Amino acid sequence: MFVFELDSVTKRYGRRAALEGVSLSLPAGTALGLLGPNGAGKTTLLRLLLGFARADSGRVELQGRDPLDAASRRGVGFLPERLRLPGTLSLRRFLRLHGRLADRSGPELEREIDAIAELTGLRNRLGERLDQLSKGLAQRAGFAQALLGSPGLLILDEPTTGLDPLGVREARTWLEAARERGATLLVSSHILSEVERLCDHVAILDQGRVADSGPLERVVRTGESLEDAFVRIVQRERAPSA
Amino acid sequence: MRRALRAFLSLTAEACRDGLRRRFAFVAGAVLLLGLGATESCTTLEIGAVSVNDRTLDPQTVAGFLAPFLFAVQALLVVVMAGVLASDHLARPLEEGSALLWLARPVDRAIFAAARLGGALGVALGAGLILLAGTAGMLVVRQGLAIGPALLAMLGTALSCVVVAALAMAASLRLGRTAVLLLVVVGVPLIAAANSWALASMLIDPQAEVGGISGVLLRFGPPLGFGIFGPVSVWNPYVQEAHAGPALLRLGLWAFGAFGLIWLCFRRMELGAGHSD
Repeated sequence: MFVFELDSVTKRYGRRAALEGVSLSLPAGTALGLLGPNGAGKTTLLRLLLGFARADSGRVELQGRDPLDAASRRGVGFLPERLRLPGTLSLRRFLRLHGRLADRSGPELEREIDAIAELTGLRNRLGERLDQLSKGLAQRAGFAQALLGSPGLLILDEPTTGLDPLGVREARTWLEAARERGATLLVSSHILSEVERLCDHVAILDQGRVADSGPLERVVRTGESLEDAFVRIVQRERAPSA
Repeated sequence: MRRALRAFLSLTAEACRDGLRRRFAFVAGAVLLLGLGATESCTTLEIGAVSVNDRTLDPQTVAGFLAPFLFAVQALLVVVMAGVLASDHLARPLEEGSALLWLARPVDRAIFAAARLGGALGVALGAGLILLAGTAGMLVVRQGLAIGPALLAMLGTALSCVVVAALAMAASLRLGRTAVLLLVVVGVPLIAAANSWALASMLIDPQAEVGGISGVLLRFGPPLGFGIFGPVSVWNPYVQEAHAGPALLRLGLWAFGAFGLIWLCFRRMELGAGHSD
C-alpha cells in the first residue's frame, strides 16, 4: 500500500520543467527523505501531492486519491518551508481550528492541544498571538499544528528551519515518536545528517528528475555518508554523457 | 457532508473574526455611526412648507421623496463596504501563505472560498443590518413610512453585498488590490446610478426605452440599484408599484453566478507558487 504515488509526472513553469517524468512512491510506515540541490523540484513535488498545483502530465495520487480531492488529505500533517502563520490568532485558537479541521472536537481536542503544546515546548505560549512568537517558536507552532491529531502522514518541507540546535534535536524526537506510532514521513531537507538519522528511504532529485531513490542502505554505499552519496549522485547526473 | 459543514462553519467564524480584527473594521464602524447620525438628524428636522408650482406639499410627501435617497445611499455604502472587505479577504491569506496550512487539511477549496466570502459578508452585513435597520426604524417611526419596502430593500442590499463581494473576491484572484478597490468604489455607484436613472425613466413613462449604458446595465448587469432603490421608491406617493421581485430574483442569480466565478478562478489556481525549490 503506497501512501503516495507519482507516475511519469511532469510540471512546467513556462518553459522551465520543475519536474520531468518523475515516478516515485512511498510505502506506508516508511520515512522518505526528499533531497536535492536548490531548484531541484522538491517543493513542487510536495505542492503536487497536496493539491496546491496540478501536474501537466502524469498521475499523482495521495492516499489512493487525486490530490485535488480534499479527502486525500485526511490524516495528513503538513509543515511548509516558508511558514506563514495567521498572526492575529492566538496559538490556542490556531491549534483549535486545525484540530477541528482534522475532525477533532470538545474536551478531547483541548487535551490534545495541551499535550502537543507541552511536547513542543509551547505550553506557556498558548494564549499568545502568533505574530508575537519568535521565529523559532513560530516554527514550533508549525510543528504543533502538523503533529496535532496524530496524522498518519507527515509532509515536512525544511522542517528545522529557524530552530536552534536544541530545537532541532527535539524536533527529531517528535518525528521519531511519530514514526514509532506508525506514521509515514516525507521530509524535504537540505540537512543531510538529519535525513540520515530520521529516514530509511531517500529520493534525490536533480533538475526535476529523480537521480536516485530507494532504501538508504542501497543509495548510500559502504563507507559513504549520505552527503558523499548525494554529491556523487548529483555529479554523476550532471556529468556530460560519454 | 457533516465534515464539510463543520469545516465551513469553523473557517467562516475565523474569517469573520479576521475581518473584525482589521483596521477596516474601524472604517465600517465610523460609516455606521455617521450613517445613523445622518438619519437621526434628517428625521428630526422640522420640514418647513415646501411648495411646488404653488402647491404646498405635506411633510409625508416630502419624506416620501427624500427617504428613498437616504436609505439607498446608506445601502450602497454597505454594498461598497462588503466589496472592499472582500477585495483581499481571500487573496491576502493566499498571498501571505497562511491559507496553505488550512488548505493542506481535508478542506475543499470551494469550502475555503465560501468561508472567506462568508467572513467578509458576516462583517459587512452585520454592520449593514444595524445601519439599515436603524435608518428604516427612524423613517418608519418618525416619518410614518411603511416598513415593508425597507425590508425588501434590505434583502436587495444583502443580495447586492453577496454579488459585489463575490465579484470583488473573484477579481482579487487575478488583479491587484488597488484595481479591485477601484472597481468596487467606482463600479458600484456607477451601476447603481445607471440603474436608478433607468428606474426613474421607467417610473415616469413605463413604455420608455432605456438606451445607452443604462440600457445595457438594465438588461445584463447586476441590478444593484433596482434591488435597493426599487423597493423603497414606493415611499414616494407618486409611485404606484416598483416591481422589485424580478430585480431581487436577478440579484439572486447574480449572487449564485458570482460565487461560481470565484470557484472557477480558485479551483484551478496554483497555490504556493514561487517556492520551487
